[in-house]
Amino acid sequence: MNALKVLGGRGLREALRTPDALLPTLLIPLFFLVVNVGQAARIFPTDTTPFLKGQSYAAFQLPATILLAASFGTAALYLVEEIENGYFDKIRATPVSRTSIALGRLISEPIKIAAMTVVIILVALPFGVSVQSGIVGVLLLVLLAAGWATGYAAFLQFVALKTRSAAATNSAGLVFFPLLFLTPNFVPRDLLTDPMEVAATLNPVTYVMEAMRSLILEPLNWAAIAPGFIVVAAFVGVMLVINVHVMRTYD
Amino acid sequence: MTSAVSAQGLIKTFQGKKGSTVEAVRGVDLSVEPGEVFGFLGPNGAGKSTTVRMLTTLTTISGGSAQVVGVDVASDPDGVRRKIGVALQDVGLDPRQTGREILVLQARLFGLTASEASARAEELLELVELTDAADRRTKTYSGGMKRRLDLASALVHRPDVLFLDEPTTGLDPASRLVVWEEVRRINALGVTVFLTTQYLEEADQLCSRLAIIDGGRIVREGTPEALKADLKAKRGGDTEPTLDDVFLDVTGRSRERGAGEVREVQ
Repeated sequence: MNALKVLGGRGLREALRTPDALLPTLLIPLFFLVVNVGQAARIFPTDTTPFLKGQSYAAFQLPATILLAASFGTAALYLVEEIENGYFDKIRATPVSRTSIALGRLISEPIKIAAMTVVIILVALPFGVSVQSGIVGVLLLVLLAAGWATGYAAFLQFVALKTRSAAATNSAGLVFFPLLFLTPNFVPRDLLTDPMEVAATLNPVTYVMEAMRSLILEPLNWAAIAPGFIVVAAFVGVMLVINVHVMRTYD
Repeated sequence: MTSAVSAQGLIKTFQGKKGSTVEAVRGVDLSVEPGEVFGFLGPNGAGKSTTVRMLTTLTTISGGSAQVVGVDVASDPDGVRRKIGVALQDVGLDPRQTGREILVLQARLFGLTASEASARAEELLELVELTDAADRRTKTYSGGMKRRLDLASALVHRPDVLFLDEPTTGLDPASRLVVWEEVRRINALGVTVFLTTQYLEEADQLCSRLAIIDGGRIVREGTPEALKADLKAKRGGDTEPTLDDVFLDVTGRSRERGAGEVREVQ
């Protein structure tokens, strides 16, 4: 536990000392929010679009923005750097559990993304966005984003450990884009064409997005929120188990 | 007396392309006595670093066995990690942390409390003369400073054995001399040093005993003086052989002058 705390603290310090890596994580998703809303807001006016539930189209787009911000996983790129420069071996040569090493670097991700989610929500407020599920909803939104960020960072860390290549890890990060486009990103699932609806239904990201959307657009609706949490919990669980296994067998 | 490092028939194989097996280390036997500076020499690709990685628990052992201060490497890797300090060929430092933070973190990972870790970091910064640069991020350090900090970080837990894998590769001559001085100072504190190097002068200066590995096997072992005396006896004549001559003799290489440089050829 001590090692986990020490390694986690280092990860946080690292994040705070690399604002140049943090800024794109915030600005790129906000850019997508502005562009998507700018392109589609007139098609979906608030007063004649039932699925907006009285809010602006920015509120409908906000979950995609948060999910994108939570899917950068920069910690994995630092790991590749450390594998290449030998520092990772230095850590491996200490008598701490391999689990602590696997999880230590991931601890900063949920904290970083929780803060970023709050900033994104604050930025969205002046554009007519409000979180209808209240403070509890904001907390759940932050929790979902932080959970997703942990799972995604763990996925990228797994790629980093297996390939030991910055290029491969970077490329793996792009996997999120096709997943994002196969969600009901622009309209609700029931308005998608049949093939896209099937793809979105099979895509686990859909349920996280729908849970976030529910938290923003309506009072607490557990039927919509629970699947998102189940997907995030399963994703995080599977990825952490895989990471610990890879760390223990790293040669 | 328990050996500081011992290996019996140590083997490392890797899976090559198309399912072939590559033998990087083919049955190494070693015994390093406590307090020694033991040199491990060999040409590129001879198996030096792979052997060190096995002995330091960083890579699995494919065959044979090894012990560090009596602790078995394969069955008790954490036990071995508590006994050893490791400074590998690549200077392993986190460029986003300060020198002090790196030492404190390393000490905490070896179980020291926060205050013990701070005190130990201070002590080591003084030892390697980096106190003035302690609170600068390591990305601003010169190559020599990085190497000294790397050495210090390998000593946070007062190890019995220090593994140094080519500690002076890439350093300028002045920095190299500083590292040699550090190695002597560390050894004088009672730490056994296991040193791999490609620089034969380095081995001659620092090592009380050495082994030469080639093709994954130990091909010669002894004190530098004994190895040179053996070669002199083998060759005859009055010329005093250098450690370079011993190295070239046992690895089956010779020297050739080409493009204005002396180089080794097989």
